[in-house]
Amino acid sequence: MSIVFRARSDLLARVRADLHRPHPFAAERVGFVVCRAGRLARGGLVIVAADYEPVADEDYLDNPKVGATMGPAAIRKALQRAYNGGAADLAMFHVHMHAHRGMPGFSAVDHRESRRFVPDFFNIAPHVPHGALVLSRDRAFGLCWTGPDAAPVEIDRFASVGAPLLFWRRR
Amino acid sequence: MNDRFASQSFLGPESDAIFADVTVGIVGLSGGGSHIVQQLAHVGVGRYVVVDYDRAEARNLNRLVGGTVEDVAASRLKTEIAERVIRNVNPEAEVIARPVRWQEAMPELRGCDVLFGCVDRFNERAQLERVARRFLIPYIDLGMDIHPAASGFSLSGQVVLSSPGGPCLWCLGILTEGRLAEEAKKYGRAGSRPQVIWPNGVLASLGIGLFVQLPCPWHGAAQLTACCEFDGDHHRVETSRMEYAEQLRCRHFPADEVGDQFFARRE
Repeated sequence: MSIVFRARSDLLARVRADLHRPHPFAAERVGFVVCRAGRLARGGLVIVAADYEPVADEDYLDNPKVGATMGPAAIRKALQRAYNGGAADLAMFHVHMHAHRGMPGFSAVDHRESRRFVPDFFNIAPHVPHGALVLSRDRAFGLCWTGPDAAPVEIDRFASVGAPLLFWRRR
Repeated sequence: MNDRFASQSFLGPESDAIFADVTVGIVGLSGGGSHIVQQLAHVGVGRYVVVDYDRAEARNLNRLVGGTVEDVAASRLKTEIAERVIRNVNPEAEVIARPVRWQEAMPELRGCDVLFGCVDRFNERAQLERVARRFLIPYIDLGMDIHPAASGFSLSGQVVLSSPGGPCLWCLGILTEGRLAEEAKKYGRAGSRPQVIWPNGVLASLGIGLFVQLPCPWHGAAQLTACCEFDGDHHRVETSRMEYAEQLRCRHFPADEVGDQFFARRE
């Protein structure tokens, strides 16, 4: 299955600017890119970014063992946003950033944590894919779940739609 | 860089790889689209979705780039002609040919990085732009018209680059309710519209320039929106419509109205 992720470059800039801000105690910030989906040929999917939902300062847990830990309120607010999508469910993609240039990747902790909470979104918005993204300063990498029990699939191709138009493939 | 593209190395050291990987959709493969296909192949575009249900007819040969007398005799699909034009320049190209109404090729078109609309009717142009906006695809629209004037005929056209977040065909006044209503009144009795090759060539070349600069802005900063109006009677291109449109905030396509509003994970 081929999965394409597209976002406007101004939205990505907004996400990066938010994630770059220091937090009172967490070592990094996280948020959610709010998306909708479309079907491609041969069973593929296109995920289209619509908005960004930052995690509020007070919704982090103080956990010095990892860069950032979301508290229950952060998850609840993201689930609420997915639920309020209107006629079609919203696809929620958790996002964090690695402050370097070039292709980023998930750490073992990133993999473990996203496997823990991403499938929960299917309880609220069961008809759309959900996932997790990691941004670098100029690229992105991501995993997409197409169902609560499905194994996550790497996003094949990203496009940053702006001036200039940028696109890249995973690895 | 591949030797074949040495003459366009000013587009950047990675430009040949960028164009080899980009997927371009072309809807309508007659007067405008056949020019677009030919130039994209020469630029080095590697992936195509070509859509047109029509077949070559004798009356197309005055403007169908790549079309031959043999194609007319064989009543060949315009998608087949487009694919042949591409492969004659770039045998390795990936070409998805869909000889259907473009609305039936949505899964393929949604996967494109850039869309060219080379269709005649305003209603179809409006629909195509809406699809492009919903899936965050820059859309390049070509329109040409020959109409009676006091001293004979007048020849004009325009190319619009419509990108998410920027002014759209409605903002620019290319699409209006009046034009759509007028077109709807004539539906089914429009007859054959006059078309010739040279203005299509001008418009297609402007469109290709707008496309190339999107990923490879040789002049510094890429333009996300453009409107080039061709006065075919006086052989001039004007961009004055952009001067007022640049101040506009598009209210026709809100930023969060994206994706397929009827999407379901399992169909």
